[in-house]
Amino acid sequence: MSRLAFLMREAIVNLRRNALVVTGAVLAVFISLALAFGALVLNQLLVINTLAWQEGTHIVVFLKDTDEGGLSLDGQLQLRAEVESWDEVKAVRYVDKAGAYEEFKILFADRPDFVESINPTILPSSLRIELTDINLYRDVQFRLQANPAVKDVRSFGEGIEMLSNLSRVLNLLGIGLALVLGSAAVIMIANTIRMAIYARRDEVSIMKLVGASNWFIRVPFLLEGLIEGVLGAGLAVLTIWIASQNLQGVGDSIQLVQFTIPTEFFLRWGVLFVLFGAAAGVFGSLIGLSRYLREADGGARTGAA
Amino acid sequence: MLRLENVTKVYEGGTVAARDVTLDIQKGEFVFLVGPSGSGKSTLIRLMLRQEPITRGTIWVAGKDITTIPNWKVPFLRRSIGTVFQDFKLLPNKTVFENVAFALEVLGRPRSVIRPQVEQVLNLVGLSDKGDRYPRQLSGGEQQRVSVARAFVNRPPILLADEPTGNLDPATSVGIMKLLDRINRTGTTIVMATHDHAIVDAMQRRVVAIEDGAVVRDDQSGRYETITMDVPVVAEAPPAPATDGESGSEGGEEE
Repeated sequence: MSRLAFLMREAIVNLRRNALVVTGAVLAVFISLALAFGALVLNQLLVINTLAWQEGTHIVVFLKDTDEGGLSLDGQLQLRAEVESWDEVKAVRYVDKAGAYEEFKILFADRPDFVESINPTILPSSLRIELTDINLYRDVQFRLQANPAVKDVRSFGEGIEMLSNLSRVLNLLGIGLALVLGSAAVIMIANTIRMAIYARRDEVSIMKLVGASNWFIRVPFLLEGLIEGVLGAGLAVLTIWIASQNLQGVGDSIQLVQFTIPTEFFLRWGVLFVLFGAAAGVFGSLIGLSRYLREADGGARTGAA
Repeated sequence: MLRLENVTKVYEGGTVAARDVTLDIQKGEFVFLVGPSGSGKSTLIRLMLRQEPITRGTIWVAGKDITTIPNWKVPFLRRSIGTVFQDFKLLPNKTVFENVAFALEVLGRPRSVIRPQVEQVLNLVGLSDKGDRYPRQLSGGEQQRVSVARAFVNRPPILLADEPTGNLDPATSVGIMKLLDRINRTGTTIVMATHDHAIVDAMQRRVVAIEDGAVVRDDQSGRYETITMDVPVVAEAPPAPATDGESGSEGGEEE
């Protein structure tokens, strides 16, 4: 116990004495992880927005009037029930002519003369279909187009599909960027610790001389790395969180795009990033130390030189 | 306590720093390793500390062959050997007290044990009032006293000193030697590499002369007595003529 307390004290004293190098290491972790976390948050925003756009009506089916060879009201409701029973379909909303006119009035509220010039009976009744999976839109569209009672089928599938693809690519890019920057953090910590050890190589050799084991020498350095990693990662998460809070303010003025990220996401990923920072700190220290400690060991018998 | 058996050390590039050295050092002995710079004294000290890999031969420390022990056991070996160096090797960021205490911290001793033990040894070396100073605030002699205190604080059976007076003036050197003598009288075996004639002559202890990596003389109670540099030295060499006002070798070779 007293040994652990001693090693903790050593680590804290070393952190204080090497303030400049420590600041460098914390900044290195902070910058890499802030960029990585930023990429992740942006990616999440994209996912949230793509999902939001994917919600709602995917296909609109305009139905023929009875004088065009279409179905009666009962027939149309029957068709709705049939479409709703399809596996690909999540929900179907039937909008009759009156309903269509109401929508039309809302849509052209700023042009009352135009609204008045339109005869409500010319607007077709329609089915608004929400799919279980947007990618299935082609099949459903094809089947509906084949129905003689259908006048026209409009689908938003292509646009949403394009957005999905873009999101997938950006998702991969975001994860790739996070990985690259995460590795950069480990390398930077390893380098910084190695520099710190190089500056204290005499100290390490004296420690070895009085009989300190490699672990006894290592632990304060590992604790230093851990503290630096946690500090850098914590700062990175905090910075991105503050930035996203500010973005929410902007988001309020732009209706189409959503800038709010659930707190749960920040908690989950924030904790993971801090843990990663801690692991990167410890791992970086281990890499930084291993070579030097190996060199400082005398080694056993060599072959004849 | 210490036994070197046919110890040879060849550095990369072919430099031979130790040639077939055989030495037997008993418990409680005070042995001087003497010889000019580059003769191989320090290499022997480093080999005894397992700071260098040995090329051939065996070194026994307290009955254990240290040339074959795995690296992870080396710290345990070093805890049984106190070391004092010419450049003091003190930790600059630690106070005198912390420097001495460090040797006990490494052993995992509790603070309640460390404090009195460090105070006692600081008292022994005459620095009890300077425990809170940093090495840079001390004179060379005082720094070396701290180094001796650190080497002795856990009462090791062996103390190796490599030119401990090399950076000190004669008067200060005498103080350090008195200290080492006092430690030796507690039963600690001391091996000291030096080329300080006056000290060796004054102490009248066992002298092992090293020349070009080989033992050329081993006197139980001897003087420094340099061997001429320009005459090739062999084990059975007759006493060399004095070239610098000192007498020639009077002791025979062990090997």
